[in-house]
Amino acid sequence: MDADPPQFGNIDVNESDIHTIVLSYLVHNCFKDTLESFVSCTGMKQPVDHMQDMEKRKRIYHFALDGNASKAIEMTEEFAPGLLEENKDLHFDLLSLHFVELVSSHKTQEALLFAQCQLTDFGKEQKYVKKLEDFMALLAYDEPEKSPMFHLLSSDHRQHVAESLNRAILAHTKLPSYSAMERLIQQTTVVRQCLSQELGKDGHKPFSLKDFLKS
Amino acid sequence: MRVVEDGTLSKRVKVSSGKIGGLSDDTSVGEQGSCSLSGSMAPLLASEDDKVVGSNGVISKVEFVRIITEALYSLGYSKIGAHLEEESGIPLHSNLVLTFVQQILDGQWDESVTTLHQIDLMDENIIKLASFAILEQKFFELLDGEEEMDALKTLRTQIIPLRVNCDRAPELSYFIVCPSQISLDKTHSQESRLSSRKKLLGELRKLLPPTVIIPENRLVCLVEQALDLQKDNCRFHNSVGEMSLLVDHQCGKDKIPYQTVQILKEHYGEVWFLKFSHNGRYLASSSCDSRVIIWVVNVDGHVIMRHRLTGHRQPVSYISWSPEDDQILTCGDDKTVRRWDIDSGECLCVYEKQNLGLVSCGWAADGKSIFTGVTDKSISMWDLKGKEVESWKGQRTHCMADLGITSDGKELITLCKENVVLLFGWETESERFIEENQTITSFALSEDGKLLLVSLWDGDIHLWDIDGCMEWIGEYNGHTRSRLLVRSCFGGLEQAFIASGSENSKVYIWHRASMELVFSLSGHSGAVNCVSWNPANPHMLASASDDHTIRIWGLKRVNSKSNGTLEKV
Repeated sequence: MDADPPQFGNIDVNESDIHTIVLSYLVHNCFKDTLESFVSCTGMKQPVDHMQDMEKRKRIYHFALDGNASKAIEMTEEFAPGLLEENKDLHFDLLSLHFVELVSSHKTQEALLFAQCQLTDFGKEQKYVKKLEDFMALLAYDEPEKSPMFHLLSSDHRQHVAESLNRAILAHTKLPSYSAMERLIQQTTVVRQCLSQELGKDGHKPFSLKDFLKS
Repeated sequence: MRVVEDGTLSKRVKVSSGKIGGLSDDTSVGEQGSCSLSGSMAPLLASEDDKVVGSNGVISKVEFVRIITEALYSLGYSKIGAHLEEESGIPLHSNLVLTFVQQILDGQWDESVTTLHQIDLMDENIIKLASFAILEQKFFELLDGEEEMDALKTLRTQIIPLRVNCDRAPELSYFIVCPSQISLDKTHSQESRLSSRKKLLGELRKLLPPTVIIPENRLVCLVEQALDLQKDNCRFHNSVGEMSLLVDHQCGKDKIPYQTVQILKEHYGEVWFLKFSHNGRYLASSSCDSRVIIWVVNVDGHVIMRHRLTGHRQPVSYISWSPEDDQILTCGDDKTVRRWDIDSGECLCVYEKQNLGLVSCGWAADGKSIFTGVTDKSISMWDLKGKEVESWKGQRTHCMADLGITSDGKELITLCKENVVLLFGWETESERFIEENQTITSFALSEDGKLLLVSLWDGDIHLWDIDGCMEWIGEYNGHTRSRLLVRSCFGGLEQAFIASGSENSKVYIWHRASMELVFSLSGHSGAVNCVSWNPANPHMLASASDDHTIRIWGLKRVNSKSNGTLEKV
C-alpha cells in the first residue's frame, strides 16, 4: 500500500461516526459486555431493548455453531416467528445441520427417520433435490468424514449457517444485516478494483486489509 | 447313434416362478451340465481336427458352432440347441456361467457375485461394474420390500467399497428416504421382479466379455452386417423390404423414377421452383407469373391442384415449408415474404422491412419464428405476427434466395459472399464457412441436415459434409448450366441419390455415394430449373421447367402421348 496519500489529511472524520461504526460491529456480533463498557466510556446513547435481543441472538448463534440445530430452531421460532417459513433455504440448512449431528453420532435409524419426516418435503422443489442427495449420501459411508461430502460435517459449514441465521434475524428485526465496518471494507475493495480495471497497470494495487493494517 | 445317458437333453434352465417368457422362449444360455469342456468329449461326427470353417481359414469352428447354438435357442428351438451342444461337444456356455445366470434369475445376489469372481477371462473393472449392477438390483429389491436398513447396509458395506460409479451414491441414498422417487429414476420402471431381473441379465450380457457369454442374436447381427454391406454396394437401391439371403443383393434401375407419370400444366409461365412438403403429401410450386400453386399428392400417387395463391407482384423464386407442413413461406423478386396457410390457401402474413427488401426465407425448427435474408446483407428473425424480433448485421447474406436451417435448428445456412457459404449459429453467433473457388448459384440441404449440396457457376455440383468438421466429399457433373439458376436436391431411400435440373431440358440423377450418373431423363422442352424428390416416396420425383410444366416422374408407365423417354447411360 502506498504511503498515506496527501489527500487523506484534507478529510475530516467525525468522532461520533467512528463510534457508530464500532457500535454497529459490536451489536452485529452480540458482544454485549464490550458494548456496555464502550457505551459508558464514550457517553453514547444506546436503546435498552437492543441488549436483550443481543443476548438471545448470541445464544442462537452459538447453538447453531455447535451444531445444536434443534435448540437454534426452537429459539428462532420463539424470537422471530415466521422467519424460517420465509427463509426456506435457511430452514433447510438448519434442519440438515441436525441431520448431520445425528449422522456424526452414528444414530443412523434416527437420522433416517428424521430425514423422512422433515427433509423429504423439500424434495418437491427441484433446487433442493441435489442438496438432499448430498446430505443423504453421508448415510452411505461407514465413515462419513472420509466421504466426498465431508465438508458438510465441517465447522466451516456450521459457521456459514450460523452467520446466515444471524443475518436473517437481524433483517427480520429491522436491523441492518451487515455491520457498517464490513460494508466499508467491501466498499473500499470494490472501489479499488474498479480503479485498477480502468487505469490498468498504472492504477493502484487491489485493496488489502492486511497490508493496510501493517502500514 | 450315441446313447443318451440321462434326460439332460430336455432339461431347461429353471426359473423359480415358472417358465421364462419375455426375451426368448428360453434364455439362450444353454443347458445345465450336460457337457463340460474338461469332461469327456462327445465323439464328433465331422472331422475333429478342423479348427476352422470356410475356405478363408478365418472362422473358428468353436465360435461358429456356439453362435449357431445361440441362434437356435433365441429362435426357441431349445431341444435342437441342446442336441447340437451334445453332438458337437461344444457347450454354449460353461457351467459357471449357467450357474451365474440362474442365480441372477433367482435373486441370489451375493452368491452370484461370488460366482462372478470365479469366472475366468475377466478384468477387475468389469467384475466391479457387473457387481455394482447386481448389488444395485439387490438394493432396489430390498427397498421394494421396505427393508430400508438392509438396503442401507448393502449400500454401505457392499456397493460403496467397490468404488465405481461413485456419483450414483447420493442418488441411491436419497432413494432410501424417498422411495417414491424410484419410479422417476431412468434405470428403473414399474415392472415385475422377474422382468426386471431379466433386464439386469441383458445388461450383464453386454458388460461381460463375449467369450464368457455369447452376445444375444450374434448370428443375426453378423448376417445383418453382411446385408448392409451388400446394400451399400448396390448403386440403384431405392426400395425398402426384405433382402434375400439366398443371393447377393443387386437392384436394377427399375426402382428409380425414370418415367413421366404425370404432367402438370396449371402454371401460366416458366416454373422456377418447386418443393415437396416434409410428409410428402403436398407439393408447392412457383412460377414467373407470380403465382404459387399448392398441389395435393393422393394416396395413389396422382397429383392434383388444390390452391392457387396470388399475392406476390413479381415472380416467386423460393418456397419454404413449415416444420409441421401446415404453412409455407414464399419470397421472390418483389422482395417481400408471405406466409400462407395450406388448408385454406389464405395469406396469413406479409413480412416487409422498411426501405429494404427481403430476399430469402426459412422456418425456425420450432415453427414459431421465421428467418429472412435482407438486401442490406443482414439476417432478421420474425415472429408469426410479422414483427421483427432480432437482426444480425454484417456480411451475413448475399443477394441470393437460398436460406437453409440445420436439422437441430441451431445454424442458419446462407451465402454470405459469392463463393462462400456461411453456417451461422444464430443463438451463439458462431460462424462456420465453406469456401468454393467459384461463384455459388444455389445449395440444398439433406433431410438429416448433415450434407450440403452446392451448385456452382460452371455447372458442377459439390457435396459437403457439414456435420462436425466440414469436408468436401465429391462432385457430380454431366448436366449443363450456363445462364440460369438450376437447382439440385437429395432424394430416394436414405437420400442415396442426387437429382438436378439442367439447361438442356433434362433431369439428371446420380448415385450419391459412387457419384455415378444413373439416368438423364428427357421429356421437358425447356430448361429444367428445379427438382424435388418426394421425402415420403422414394419413387416420386418432380421437376419444374421453363416449358411452363411440372413433370412427375415415377415407376409406372403412362399411356398419354407425351410420354417421357429415358436415355440409358
